[in-house]
Amino acid sequence: MTIRLRWPVLAVATTLLVASCGGGTEAPPAATAGTATTSCASKGPLTMWERSGGNKEMVDLLVAAWNTKNPDCAIKLTYIPHTEMVGKIAQGIASGQVPDLMGMDLIYAPQFEKAQQLVDITPRIQDWTELKTASKGHMTVATYQDKVYGVPLYADVSALFYNKDLFARAGLDPDKPPTSLAELRTYADKITALGGGVHGYYLPGNCAGCNIFTVGPLMWASGAKIEAAGPGDEPLVGEGVKQVLEFTREMVKSGNVAPGARTENGETFHLQFGSGKVGMMGTGNFNITLARQQNAKMKFGISLLPGVTPGSSASFIGGDLVVVPKGSKRVNDSVNFMKFLMSDEVQVEVYAKALNLTTRSDMADNKYFRAEPLVRDVAKALTVGRTPYTFTFFEQINSPQGPWLKMLQRAYYSEDSLDTVIADAKTAMKKIAV
Amino acid sequence: MYRSRRRRLVGFAYLAPALIFVLVFTVYPLGQMVWMSFNNWSLITPPRYVGLDNYRQAFDDHQFWVSFLFTVKYTLIITPILIVGGYLLALLTSSNGPLRRVTRTVVFAPVVIGLGVSSLLWYWLLSPDSGLVNRALTDVGVIDKPVLWLGVNANTSNFAIIASVTWKVIGFGMILFVGAIQAIPTEITEASLVDGASYWQRVTRVIVPLTLRTVLLVTLVSVIGSLLAFDQFYIMTAGQPGNETATSVFYVYLNSFPYLKLGYGAALSILLAVTILALTVVQLLITRRREA
Amino acid sequence: MSRLHENAPRRGVRPGRARYLVAAVCLAICVVMLLPLVMSFLASVKPPAEAAATPPTYLPHGLSFDSYRRLWSYQQGLPAYLLNSLGTALLAIAITLVLTVPAGYALARFQIPGKEVIFVVLLVALIVPYQALLTPMFLMFVHLKLTNTLLGLAIVHAVIQLPFSLYILRNSFSGVPRELEEAAVVDGASSWQALLRIFIPSVWPAIVTVALFAFIMSWNEFLGALVMMSRGDRFTLPLILAAARTETSLGGTDWGMLQAGIAISMVPCIAVYLLLQRYYVSGLMSGAVK
Repeated sequence: MTIRLRWPVLAVATTLLVASCGGGTEAPPAATAGTATTSCASKGPLTMWERSGGNKEMVDLLVAAWNTKNPDCAIKLTYIPHTEMVGKIAQGIASGQVPDLMGMDLIYAPQFEKAQQLVDITPRIQDWTELKTASKGHMTVATYQDKVYGVPLYADVSALFYNKDLFARAGLDPDKPPTSLAELRTYADKITALGGGVHGYYLPGNCAGCNIFTVGPLMWASGAKIEAAGPGDEPLVGEGVKQVLEFTREMVKSGNVAPGARTENGETFHLQFGSGKVGMMGTGNFNITLARQQNAKMKFGISLLPGVTPGSSASFIGGDLVVVPKGSKRVNDSVNFMKFLMSDEVQVEVYAKALNLTTRSDMADNKYFRAEPLVRDVAKALTVGRTPYTFTFFEQINSPQGPWLKMLQRAYYSEDSLDTVIADAKTAMKKIAV
Repeated sequence: MYRSRRRRLVGFAYLAPALIFVLVFTVYPLGQMVWMSFNNWSLITPPRYVGLDNYRQAFDDHQFWVSFLFTVKYTLIITPILIVGGYLLALLTSSNGPLRRVTRTVVFAPVVIGLGVSSLLWYWLLSPDSGLVNRALTDVGVIDKPVLWLGVNANTSNFAIIASVTWKVIGFGMILFVGAIQAIPTEITEASLVDGASYWQRVTRVIVPLTLRTVLLVTLVSVIGSLLAFDQFYIMTAGQPGNETATSVFYVYLNSFPYLKLGYGAALSILLAVTILALTVVQLLITRRREA
Repeated sequence: MSRLHENAPRRGVRPGRARYLVAAVCLAICVVMLLPLVMSFLASVKPPAEAAATPPTYLPHGLSFDSYRRLWSYQQGLPAYLLNSLGTALLAIAITLVLTVPAGYALARFQIPGKEVIFVVLLVALIVPYQALLTPMFLMFVHLKLTNTLLGLAIVHAVIQLPFSLYILRNSFSGVPRELEEAAVVDGASSWQALLRIFIPSVWPAIVTVALFAFIMSWNEFLGALVMMSRGDRFTLPLILAAARTETSLGGTDWGMLQAGIAISMVPCIAVYLLLQRYYVSGLMSGAVK
């Protein structure tokens, strides 16, 4: 069949293209192609894809900042529906019609790196001091077999947000957030007892990504492991899995979660805490500004997501990477954009000013954060944070139809034996990781 | 002789553009799809020949059967509703008085708005807190707390989607039935009136049998369409809960796009197409027999 | 042959009461069918605060085009998406008609060997889920440089519409009386002239029906557009509607903007339908009864 013949041709063609294309200054990736700067390497607009459903405000700000500084090579950004992103990227690469650079949900990076579909930028960035303090979670998934393929675009980290006003009303100390799951439960009960549409906790019932972001760390903090990294790897290992599922099941049964949460599919997840009707909830740093916008007078605090043992904690480091797809005609400019993102000025004046996490930990001490203790608190989560590393993240975990969400839904809303629920999920995840 | 051969060639020339178009844009990709079904291919890694593995895997695949059975269930419930409901509406509006014509126009209107838009519209109407369905039901007193129509319970979701799709497509069957009913010569109905037949006797003994061909045709088209249903499930439930409302085509889509299992998706498509083809043949044979 | 019910005088079979009952039923049905459309449109003109209210209001308490304004400037701007959708739809109609009118003519009026087989093959395309065909087509289009073009997407839409259109047209062509054709032949007309002067005017309702359905299908089609278009400025309306669903305003999904999008999607379809009603009704009824 013709496709079989075309594939090698396509592969050779794209290699030649990468090697010989561009505005004269493009060189084969193996060579150190000159020092990167934060301005244009060649003229002409840059095409960039980014997934929808992420931190759109942050990405828009970053692109706008670059476009203001470099109008000659301004970025034209296209948002792709995030559930279609993996398919779209694959199609783009297979057909050679790729954007110049891409924002990619970081947990998909290993899959594309393994398939050798991203440009290896190791030689270009190896002497960048900025990367020494870049988010570990991002850089781990950006690396495959000791080669680096991207840098952080933005970082999200999950933490436990708690409503100090509701704490005070329930007779809890507003400066003492819970440090274990058991405490979380006790506090939640007290807050729910206040009545008036107020609930102590929140569990999104129909959103796989929200749950890995905020319930996954509860399992990690309890010593468990979740994803199957690759073929033959065992997923869902550790007593923590069952303990956390029990915890969540009891939370729902005891009425600590609003019934409407059952249909939450992620579209309004980031607006729940700001409503002021939730006592405590796992959510991300992006919720600081959002909650303030929704509810300026609400007093709230941030602490780490706890596990079974008092004092244990974990967090999910998420966000996006900037990567360069194979076949991109503007590798130099893409790398320049990366340098721009990691530069001191952008870290402070764009990321920190918007009260988003800086992707470099050494830039966390800046004037904006000093005026905003909550951001400092949430940044602490980075130290206990981790990012899953697997080649089939979407299908195993993030997919609305995948085993992760199914397991959680059975735990939250059914009476099925948790052992069966976990065993079923394990089987499904192992099959996918093949 | 010469003229008839020339005429055949001329006829073929008229047919040629469509034929070429179909060969290039349908048959060729179809052939590729068949080839894909014998390979494992994720688009970003080279294809790997696996013979009939994809087909074998389908039979062991729990989700494949869940999707298939759900699709069949959906079809079995919605088809009678559409056919009987459409026919009743046709009986109601088959005369040409102004009110009937307006009713026909109104009932057909949802047919022209597109399934995606209709699904979004109902997605909003059925929203637990912002939707008018729950508001109206609460106001009337039928329910006392919001019903979670979509994505929580497979049967409730099925019911809700069937209601929305019925609203959208029932007009199509209605119009075709009206056409068929109006094509019955008046002499025949007048004859039955002389015999003293009541309205319903007229309907069942005269009108239905004479429009049977159209009914069977509409049933066939409706069944095929329902077995291939995708848009409404993609938009309204995204297959939730836990893939229970993911129809067969939805599962094909999942494998072909986000999961990057193109070979498997192709094999599933072919299995589905073969099933529908078999069903179609069976239905046509039954039709032939009935007409004989 | 006289047609049932058309001009038959009321035979007094129905007493007056039943007439009112039937009229009431008709009215009730009209209300039920129209209600979702009307409520959607009303929701699109609610002020943002009211559009986001839970529980929702039935009738708007104020009038505001804010939702439309937000939609207008959404991402690349609504006009771009409207033009893309319109351009694709028009091209799809053109391609479909150019292919299926002659083909329907040929299949109905010419003795082509194996034409039943050909007809069945063309219909088989109806039962293959086109979702899986999209990737091979996409790869082919890359080589043909048809990706990210309205023409490429229009071809995909034509592929989807072809079987149905061909079926309707072939049936319609079959229904043209032989006498008309023979009269043209006697006048010395070629088959082409016969097509233009005799057949096309006769099957005009079917042509309009085919065009209408091609338009509706193309205007609303989502997955093909998603696969074929990777440049934001080439997106069509359904893609933007899908994206709009994830937009939020004032603590919830931006229902107002979504309704505005739904309204804008619906209006052309309903307008075209109302204008061309005359044709499609007879087109459908004649084309399908065979």
